[in-house]
Amino acid sequence: MNDGALDPLDYELAKARLGERTALAVLVQAHQRAVYSLALRMLGTRDLAEDLTQDVFMQLNGNLKAIESNKHLGFWLRRVTTNRAIDQLRRRSRLQITSLEDEQPFFSAEDDADPLLQRHLRDLLSDLSPQARAVLLLRFQEDLDPTDIAQTLDMPINTVKSHLKRSLETMREKSLGMQSARCEDSST
Amino acid sequence: MSQEIESRIRAALRPVAPSEDFSKKLLARVIADQPAHPKPRRLPSASARPLMWWLTASLAACLILVVGVQQHLEQQRLQQSGLEARRQVVEALRMTSQKLNLAYEAVKNQSTSLSDEKSGV
Amino acid sequence: MRKHTLSVIFALLAPALAWAAPNPKLAMPEFAGLAQKATESVTITLDPALLAMAGRFLDGNDPQDAATQEVLKGLRGIYVRSYTFDKDSAYQQADIDAVRAQLSAPGWNRLVETHSRKSRADVDIYIMIDNNQAIGLALIASEPRQFTIVNIIGAIDLDKLHKLEGQFGVPKLDVDLSKTPAPGPPKK
Repeated sequence: MNDGALDPLDYELAKARLGERTALAVLVQAHQRAVYSLALRMLGTRDLAEDLTQDVFMQLNGNLKAIESNKHLGFWLRRVTTNRAIDQLRRRSRLQITSLEDEQPFFSAEDDADPLLQRHLRDLLSDLSPQARAVLLLRFQEDLDPTDIAQTLDMPINTVKSHLKRSLETMREKSLGMQSARCEDSST
Repeated sequence: MSQEIESRIRAALRPVAPSEDFSKKLLARVIADQPAHPKPRRLPSASARPLMWWLTASLAACLILVVGVQQHLEQQRLQQSGLEARRQVVEALRMTSQKLNLAYEAVKNQSTSLSDEKSGV
Repeated sequence: MRKHTLSVIFALLAPALAWAAPNPKLAMPEFAGLAQKATESVTITLDPALLAMAGRFLDGNDPQDAATQEVLKGLRGIYVRSYTFDKDSAYQQADIDAVRAQLSAPGWNRLVETHSRKSRADVDIYIMIDNNQAIGLALIASEPRQFTIVNIIGAIDLDKLHKLEGQFGVPKLDVDLSKTPAPGPPKK
């Protein structure tokens, strides 16, 4: 649980709480990627993601004194980002993920990226409820365990596990479909 | 199969960076957190320009001085806070150590009494 | 003389406490009424950010600071409340009960309960263990004119903590903690 190593960003947090701007900049740079990615994959478009990211960090400015550690900061940012995104999505009917190939990528660009999996994942994200989407992202983007996800979203842990189970089942079915399609392609 | 899918989902969902342009704007906005800038004024009349130049130069010099002083005050505040935090750590650990000492002493005295009882003292 | 090492006691307790509850941080009461009566009160609240800051201001070349740095490694919080009064029995045990009640929650285990007739001090030490590692310590010391509550979060090394006594002007107690003792009778 605790390997004994101090987090250097804890010191930056202490300085930022005193009003040091460079320290605040370091913290923003350290966390903006995670916040932006969560916002993007929750809301679907770059513009909305950027707006939300900015709002979250502006809100942080007023709440810095209550943050105790860099780990706590990460928890706070994830919680605020997902909760605000869920609130926004409740006011909209359906997630629309616009094509971003020419702009910023929606998925991580890996050498062995699977475009078919990414398409299925995009479809899955579109179909999921905001809460289920948040659970999936916190699990697989942020690598949180179900207990931490439950705490972040104020959700019963069984609900978290249920969302994860259903999402993975859907992806598994789609993957089996992908594999069958590939086998047919290779045999023809 | 399940683990493979999970690892592929994880790989696809690794965080992506926002655009550099956005990052710069975000940093600037968060750090500044200033109210809206005042509207630009009309240019002053020709006769007032040399005076304005000196005023502008003086203001710029004052600004540099203010920023310098602010940075110095920030450093001082940091130094004071750091030393105060250090003092509190030392005090907290000293008190803890002292109370642990009380506990150890009580355990030691109890052990001594038991040994004395056993040896018939 | 029966010798103890607390690390052995940890090892004995650890398997039984493998299920330990998560949060070693105590909710400290305000003690507002007591603070008014006290001739001296100490309130120390050091979260991870402040510990990181303090660590930066410790001088590794100074023996006391170096020893303190060693203890600080792995710590995630130090919280102290201490009140001193000018007469005996100025506080009630009930005043401390709000803290004691938290220490009967799952995960906390009373490591030692001592009473000294000489100093008329009761010192209770509690430990929280997770995955065979101490992750929290709570110490309640009740003396005739003073009570002290200490809550330390993180990977605690009681041996190092105890060895600090020589550094801070507290007389060094001749108790050998390095040798492995025969385990004592189980405490209730």
